[in-house]
Amino acid sequence: MESRDETMMEKHRVHLRPITLRDAAPATLHLLPCEVLASRPAPVGRFFTPAIRQGPDGLEVSFRGRSLRGEEVAVPPGLVGYVMVTEEKLIGKQDFLGDSENNYQEEEREPVAAPEPLERDFDRFIGATATFSRFTLWGLETIPGPDAKVRGALTWPSLAAVIHAQVPED
Amino acid sequence: MAADLDRGDGARARQLVVLLPEYLKDASKKMKHGLMFVKLVNPCSGEGAIYLFDMYLQQLFEVKVFKEKYHSWFINQSVQSGGALHFATPVDPLFLLLHYLMKAGKEGKFQPLDQVVVDDIFPNSILLLKLPELEKSLCHVTEEKEITNKKYYKYSKEKTLKWLEKKVNQTMAALKTNNVNVSARVLSTAFFSSDQVASDKEEDYIRYAHGLISEYIPKELSDDLSKHLQLPELPASWPNPPSKKIKLSDEPVEAKEDYTKFNTKDLKTEKKNNKMTAAQKALAKVDKSGMKSIDTFFGAKIKKKTGKI
Repeated sequence: MESRDETMMEKHRVHLRPITLRDAAPATLHLLPCEVLASRPAPVGRFFTPAIRQGPDGLEVSFRGRSLRGEEVAVPPGLVGYVMVTEEKLIGKQDFLGDSENNYQEEEREPVAAPEPLERDFDRFIGATATFSRFTLWGLETIPGPDAKVRGALTWPSLAAVIHAQVPED
Repeated sequence: MAADLDRGDGARARQLVVLLPEYLKDASKKMKHGLMFVKLVNPCSGEGAIYLFDMYLQQLFEVKVFKEKYHSWFINQSVQSGGALHFATPVDPLFLLLHYLMKAGKEGKFQPLDQVVVDDIFPNSILLLKLPELEKSLCHVTEEKEITNKKYYKYSKEKTLKWLEKKVNQTMAALKTNNVNVSARVLSTAFFSSDQVASDKEEDYIRYAHGLISEYIPKELSDDLSKHLQLPELPASWPNPPSKKIKLSDEPVEAKEDYTKFNTKDLKTEKKNNKMTAAQKALAKVDKSGMKSIDTFFGAKIKKKTGKI
C-alpha cells in the first residue's frame, strides 16, 4: 500500500461493501512485463486486444513496438479475484445504509455487543468494481513460464491455510 | 463507470487487484456490513500491517502484496501502474494476541484480556477481542485463572513453544504434501534447491517450516523455538550468490538452483530483473539467515525489511 494509505489506515477502518463482492461484473486483466507510470483509462480494446494472436507457443502481442508472449493464468481454486476502488468521499452512515438496500433492516449481527459502532464518521469505504477468475500473464519476448514469480505467489494461499490452521489440543 | 472513478484533479482512483477466499463472497450474501480492512500489529516486526477483518465469519485475514519490479495491469479499458497483486489469506489471530500477551507477560501477573490488548498505535487491535474463538485457543499459550467468573491470563513460554512445535509440524506436513501434489515443479524450485533436498531432506523441511512460522512471532521466540526443535546451527557461511550474468531468454536451470538456496526476495527479484546494483548485492549478502521466508512470495516488503538490517 502506498504511504498515503498507510497513514490513513492507522486509525481508520476501510469498510469493504459486501454487496459489491457479489455484484461485480467480470473484467479482463493483463499483467504486463513493463511499468506504465500512469494509472488512467486506456483504449485497451482498440490497440491491445485486437492485436493478440495465438502463436505456436502461446499468445503473442506487441506493446510499444516490443514483442510480448503470454499465457492465461487461472486464479487458484478456492479464490476469487477482485478489482477494488476506494471511494474518494467520506460517506456518512446514512448514505451507506441507503445504498442499494432499500428494505434495509437493522440487524444486530454482532455476537459480541459492540462498545463502539463498527462504522465511524472518519472511516472510509472500498468496493469491488469487477471480478476475475483468470488473467493473462505477459513476458517480454518469452512466455513467463512455470517459474514466473507470480506463479509462486499464487501457491501461497494453500500454504497459508495450513500455517494458520488451528492445532489440536493435547 | 469510468467517470465515477475519475477524480476532480483528473487523476484516477487507484485500482487494487485482490484475491479473496471464495467463501467470503458466499458469506457476503448474509452480511450487510462488518467486512473491513484495518491496520494491526505485525507480530513479528511490531510494525503495522494491513488485515481484513470479517465480523460475520469472525475471522481475520492478513493482506500480503505480491509486487515485482516493472509490471503494470491492464484492467478492462484502463491501465494501473505497479502490477501489484494482493492476497487476503486467513491468519491465526493467536499470533497477534501472542504479541500482546508476551508484552504483558513481562509483568508476570495474571490479567484480563482487555487489559492485555491495549495499543495506542494500532487502536483497531481491540477488534481482536471480538473473536470469541480466539479466547478458546488461548489455552495454547497462557495459563489462566478464573476468579468470580472473570478470566485472567498469563503468558506461558513453555506452552507457547509446544503450540509452535505443533504449528511447525503441520506446516512441514503441508510442505511435503504440496511438494508432491501441487505443481511440483514450481514448488520444488521455489522452496528447495535440489542438492539440499537430496542431502538432508527432513532437516530442510523443519527449517523451512520454522522459518515460515518465524514470520509471525518475535525474533526472541523464534530463537527459543529453534532451540526447542533442536535445529542444528546453520553452517557458518552460506555460499555467496553467483555473480554471473544470466540470459533471460533461456531459463537457466543451474542458476535457478543457486538462487533458491537463498530465500531472500532480493535475489528472487533480481533473478527476474537480471540486474543487481552494488547496494542490492550488499543487502542480499547480509540476509543469509537461512530462514525461508514467506516474503519469498512477495516482493513488496523488500525495501522495508532489508532497510532495517
